[in-house]
Parts: sequence; C-alpha cells; structure tokens
Amino acid sequence: MPLALLYQPVLQTLRLIFIKIDTSKPYQNMKTIILSLVTISVLLTACNSATDKKLANSNQTKTETTDQNISVSKYPMTEVIDGYLKLKNALTKDNDKDAAAAATELIKAFESLDKKLLNPEQTKALADIEEDAREHAEHIASNSGNIVHQREHFETLSQEIYELAKSGSGQKLYYTNCPMYNNNKGGNWLSETKEVSNPYLGQAMLSCGTVKEELN
Amino acid sequence: MGLVPLGFVLLAIQFVQPVRNQSAQNSEMGIASITRVPENVQAILQNSCYDCHSNNTRYPWYAAIQPWSWWMASHIKKGKAELNFDEFGKYSKRRQLSKLKAIQGSLEDQTMPLPSYLLIHKGASLSLSDQKILKEWAEDVRNEISK
Repeated sequence: MPLALLYQPVLQTLRLIFIKIDTSKPYQNMKTIILSLVTISVLLTACNSATDKKLANSNQTKTETTDQNISVSKYPMTEVIDGYLKLKNALTKDNDKDAAAAATELIKAFESLDKKLLNPEQTKALADIEEDAREHAEHIASNSGNIVHQREHFETLSQEIYELAKSGSGQKLYYTNCPMYNNNKGGNWLSETKEVSNPYLGQAMLSCGTVKEELN
Repeated sequence: MGLVPLGFVLLAIQFVQPVRNQSAQNSEMGIASITRVPENVQAILQNSCYDCHSNNTRYPWYAAIQPWSWWMASHIKKGKAELNFDEFGKYSKRRQLSKLKAIQGSLEDQTMPLPSYLLIHKGASLSLSDQKILKEWAEDVRNEISK
C-alpha cells in the first residue's frame, strides 16, 4: 500500500530528469521506475566498493612503508653498499654503460641516505668519505666509453666504501685484492661473494685476486 | 640574404662578454701552501695548466671574440670546478690525494692538457720529460700527504 503512495512522486521526479513518462501507460512507467531504481542502487554499491578497495589498498601501503622503515634503520647504508656492488659487477663484465648507470644510482643512494639513522662511528666515516666518494661516482657516471678511466676512479672509491663499510654495514663483505692491476701496483675491491670476480681486469682475468679480509 | 642577419647576430654577441678569470689576490690557499713546489714544476704548471686550473687565465687578444669567448669561459669554469691549484689547500686531504692521482692518470692517458687547448697554445704541450717531472712530483706529494 505505501508503495502506491510513492508512485506519483517518483513519476514526477523521473519527469524532472527527462525520462519519457506517458501517464496513459502505467505498466511502462513501472518498468522505468524499477529500472531507474535498480540502476541507481547498482551505481551506489559500485561506488561504495571502490572506496572500500581504496581504503584497503592505502592500509596495505602503510604497512609496507613501515616494514621498509624497519629494515632500513637496521642497515642504513645498505642502499649505498648495494649501489657500489652493482657498479663493481658491471666492471667485472667490462660493461662501461652499466657501470655509468650504477654510479648514478650510487650517487642517488648517497643523497637519500638518512643520516639520522647512523650511529656515531658510521656518521664519522660517512662525513669523511662522502664528498670524495660522490666525486668519483660522478666521474664514473660521466665516462661511459672509457672503462680505463672508470676503473681508475673505482679504485679510490673502493677504498672509501671499504672504510664506510668497516664502520658498520651489517652485510657480509669480502675485501679482495688484485696484485696485477695498474702496473702491478694492485687494486682492492669489496665483494658480496667469496668467489673472486675481478672488476679491474674484467673478463680478461676474472678470477685473479685473493680475499684479504672478511667484514661482518 | 641569410648572411646579413647572421652578421648582425655576430656583431651583437660581441657586446656580451663573460666575466674574466683574473684575480689580483694572492693564492694563499694554493698548492704551495701544503707542499713544496719546485721551480721547474711551477713553470710547467703555470705554462700548461693554469689557464684552466687556477684563478688567473692568460687571455690573448683574440679571446675577446665571440663565440670563442663563451667557449673558453665554459672550459675555464669546468676546469676550475674539477681542479684549481690556487684553492688546493682548501681541499680535504682525501680530495687532494684523489686530485694528485687524477693528475698522474691524465698525464699517462695524455688527456691533459686538452688537445683543443694545445691546438692554439703550441707552447703548452708537454714533452716526455715534462710529463715525467710532473708525475714524479705528484707521486712525492701523494706520499707526503698520506703520512
């Protein structure tokens, strides 16, 4: 009974929104009304579920960021060390372009390093090496096509990253020496593996080198 | 017909000159403040390096002609940012060591002095003995500083 009371107002509303209503055809009108109501309720439900999905997603992202924060604060220098290792690996493959790209990433890692997360020893080491290490990385980044020059800068950079890692890097690293590089003056590098892959001589003599020191 | 507007442009740009790299100040924090620089070394550095790697460039008469004036200014700016003997004493010890190593490397690779610089300054080219003097001097300073 109450539905019958709603009939006229709904009809008038539909007329307002230009839906064709012929008052001489009540059956057709009922169909229009039902269709409109169904459409409106479907739209409303869809909107609601979309908002729910958005909320669910944002909650997920929040949890992810928190997890990331926890892992970064344990080993704040991880990104810098990883950037260096990527560069090292590119040089082992004689790939100057990848080395240049890795050096750019390394510079970004230095920039995004949150210094507040470092302990006093790490802070001191970073302050000591950062400026020079970044300059070497910049040279490597801008010398795609000249791997000899990249390796020259890599040598000093390796020394600096070693000192940084010594102050507390949290990951297992192997300080390795190649005695033949640079007219037998030798060169060192940090590796994530015990197996020797030489970044100074590359594919020409990949296994040349000895692990001098294990970090962590 | 296109030459007339080009001529005007060339004339116009002559009036826009970059600031010259010249300083009346003493280089108090120059390389001589942290180590001994023998006379022969100083002579080579001044003749072949200082135009781009110090606070005082020797400008020949044609340096005022544009667009070469801009090109030179750009070289000098980059050169000084990379290495400035007149500010060497201000660098951190690490940077000083890195730069001395870079000097040796550039001499070894013959990438310095710049070939384009040597084209115009034939007197600045380094003989093998000049190179040897500089490399050995750089090695001595490196050993001295790392102590």
